Amino acid sequence: MTPRHMPIEAAQSLRYMTLLNTSRSLVGLTPKPEDCKDIARMIMELAVYEKMPDQVKISHKELERDGFGPNPFYQCLVAEVPEDHKSKDGHTKVGYALFFYTYSTWKGRTVYMEDLYVMPEYRGKGIGKALMATVAKVAKEQHCVRLQFSVLDWNKPSLDFYLAKGAEDLTAKEGWHFLRFHGIALDNLALEAP
Amino acid sequence: MDFTIRAATLEDCKDISRMILELAEHEKVSDQVKITQKDLEQDGFSKNPFFHGIIAEVPEHLKSRDGHTKVGYSLYFYTYSSWKGRAVYMEDLYVMPEFRGKGIGKALMSKVSQLGLAAGCTQLNFTVLDWNKSSLDFYLKQGCWDVTSDLGYHCMRCEGDALENLAQGDL
Repeated sequence: MTPRHMPIEAAQSLRYMTLLNTSRSLVGLTPKPEDCKDIARMIMELAVYEKMPDQVKISHKELERDGFGPNPFYQCLVAEVPEDHKSKDGHTKVGYALFFYTYSTWKGRTVYMEDLYVMPEYRGKGIGKALMATVAKVAKEQHCVRLQFSVLDWNKPSLDFYLAKGAEDLTAKEGWHFLRFHGIALDNLALEAP
Repeated sequence: MDFTIRAATLEDCKDISRMILELAEHEKVSDQVKITQKDLEQDGFSKNPFFHGIIAEVPEHLKSRDGHTKVGYSLYFYTYSSWKGRAVYMEDLYVMPEFRGKGIGKALMSKVSQLGLAAGCTQLNFTVLDWNKSSLDFYLKQGCWDVTSDLGYHCMRCEGDALENLAQGDL
């Protein structure tokens, strides 16, 4: 499999930025392998919010394997607060955005934001906006013309957040549906390949 | 029908570009295609490709009315599900109208899924327009499911000014 992503070196010039808010959060561009346990924790928290925690099948081990090395499948931003602002449960890593590069045969290079999450007790402080803005900034630096993601139709706070930032709902507007093969259906399909 | 499925090469970009336009015409939005053959060459065949391609080719004696032997393609790339891990996304699947109904589309899609499984993927994802009944029926018959209808996920996009403003809005 050939490498897909931009070299990490290009991204490291954007390593850290400081958010001007009361939490003084730091947003780091590339996670370290030891961040994957917190990312896995927050992935589960987001799945609980989306009412599908039983759907999470990967752990920090897969995140470590797939996010590092010469052919990463994804990139990740982690929002971190100082120790004196840690969460009720003692966490300093309080939000993340997981994304990767994709391609539109009509418009070209695109970024897909797979996840955007901020722990509930840190919301309303601009962290989500800063994470998403940094993803957009990285997208522009890599000459991407689109940032795409998906939202559950009942998730009104998130929908409002994104629509307020100028996002378009392509499902509502143009009728696009996500389709998926997995499990046995995927196996059966692959068996028929010439 | 006699056809082969193989990995796309740089030389195929001219035909891929032609077929991308044909697919856009089928979806009634050909004025929206902004990338060129040169963009495809740069983005698909450099050191860090954004996509991979496979081509369906027929022998010379079965070529199309317009003289083409490259009669179908699929463009795909690897993605990531934070719940399930490695996945493959099929961006385009297209067979020229005169070559449909002969198993070529199915063969292309099967090849993408085979390549995806070999790379450790557990999902093959793609999108379809809800009015495109013939495509929807084709896919659903193969055993896929409609994540938008079943779970309520909507495709969202920021581009143009919205993307610009978003990128400048970080502190």
